[in-house]
Amino acid sequence: MEIFWRTISDYNAATWTFQLLLIIIGSILTISLYRDPNEKTKKAMKLFMVFLNLWIAIIYYLVFCSDRNYYYIFAIFWAIVACIWLYDLAKGGYRLERSYKYDKIAFVLYAIPFIYPAVSFARGMSFPSVTSPVMPCTVTIFTLGLLMSFSKKINLFLVLFLFHWALLGISKIYLYKIPEDILLTICTVPAVFLYFKEYISSDICTNSKPGNHAINLILLGTCSVIGIVFSYVIFKSFGYL
Amino acid sequence: MINGNTYQATPPLQAHNSKELVLKEQSLFLSEYASTLMGSGVHTSRVIRNTKRIGKALGLEVTVSGLHKSLILSVVADHTGDSFSTMVEIPHSPISFEINTNLSRLSWEAHDEQLSFHEIVKRFTGLVSRPKLHPIVVLILSSFANASFCALFGGDCFAMGIVFSATLIGMFTKQQMLAKDINLFLSFITSAFIASLAASTSVIFNTTSDIAIATSVLFLIPGVPLINGFMDIMEGHVITGTARLINALLLVLCIAIGMSGTIMLTKHISI
Repeated sequence: MEIFWRTISDYNAATWTFQLLLIIIGSILTISLYRDPNEKTKKAMKLFMVFLNLWIAIIYYLVFCSDRNYYYIFAIFWAIVACIWLYDLAKGGYRLERSYKYDKIAFVLYAIPFIYPAVSFARGMSFPSVTSPVMPCTVTIFTLGLLMSFSKKINLFLVLFLFHWALLGISKIYLYKIPEDILLTICTVPAVFLYFKEYISSDICTNSKPGNHAINLILLGTCSVIGIVFSYVIFKSFGYL
Repeated sequence: MINGNTYQATPPLQAHNSKELVLKEQSLFLSEYASTLMGSGVHTSRVIRNTKRIGKALGLEVTVSGLHKSLILSVVADHTGDSFSTMVEIPHSPISFEINTNLSRLSWEAHDEQLSFHEIVKRFTGLVSRPKLHPIVVLILSSFANASFCALFGGDCFAMGIVFSATLIGMFTKQQMLAKDINLFLSFITSAFIASLAASTSVIFNTTSDIAIATSVLFLIPGVPLINGFMDIMEGHVITGTARLINALLLVLCIAIGMSGTIMLTKHISI
């Protein structure tokens, strides 16, 4: 636990200017993606996502979190996420096409990376020992927001990786009592449900059973179970159960 | 399907007067039936039994020789003594207990109800063209099944959750790779690597991570080919059985390679 916060503190102290730069570039690219979603902007955003995920893998984990146990597993994990974006950039499978359906949810998700440090400050912590908008969980939420707004053709592989990260987040809440990650957990379950729903509705599996309505019900049931389990863990970890 | 073309029977007596043509049509249908059964994961002796049963209902004596990739059928008409031989490729279709059961039932229906050839073909076409389970449903159910395996092997709740999520990722990888016609062995290696890597993230917690990693790849175990291989050998179909076993063992080797990749990358983990 002590090592956990010390590594975060070192990371923030050494990289806050770069983090600021990344936030500015990310914001500019996101705004341009909404204003003028042309091929250049889309490619630039994908390239940014590759860089952002590699940043987490290399700078965050390999450089600053090397005192943590098994840090290299997470570096590999984020490198794979970067590779998914890179593959997408090369192949053009996920076209970042706006769906307009979930824009409001997406804007809420964009705001959450900035709420993370606010929660840390509210808990009485001070810079640099606070969560920041360029950390694994916040990057996950930003990616979920991006995918939510541009969800015409979902990259489900990426979504599943992010869901896995959220699952690790719930474990961190339980074991290390980090309340900031509650935000990630709350966002992920409904987001995953919506991604799957979109994926099924855009899928071309015509000769399959059960029907889309039944599959959505199965998904809803599964996500509800996961949501209940997550809520139970959160309440239990803070002594309410 | 015969060589990728949908088989359609013509009412025998209306379209063809020639008995040889009828025999040919029946033989082609029987080869289609047998290869569909073999492809959907049925052991050889059951395929032979079912095919012979339909043949008997049609007044035909059927001899089937099963190989790993193809079937050879020799059909002799009881009344005329005319014969027809055919060789058919076994299709690469997913294992389906539903097709297995339904086609076996069809053979009994043909036998007990003395169905006409045209009726058998009609029912067969209906059965094989039934909708398949949606891949997303398979994905979710496999993940629950794997998480349950984790619990059975003594994994705790965190390990179960991690295995559920790791299976979602691994299984989706497998589905996507197979849908894109990527080599089966490569798909297995990649899926095993991805699933075990995702499961290996459990090592940071005080949980049963060894069980999580070990059970995260169980969805890839080729259980049906392994069982069929043994059954074939036990029932005297040694060549088919051995081929099936070798194929299944190669898949197990692929899983081991994928897991080894994860363990090599995360070599400080003490499993």
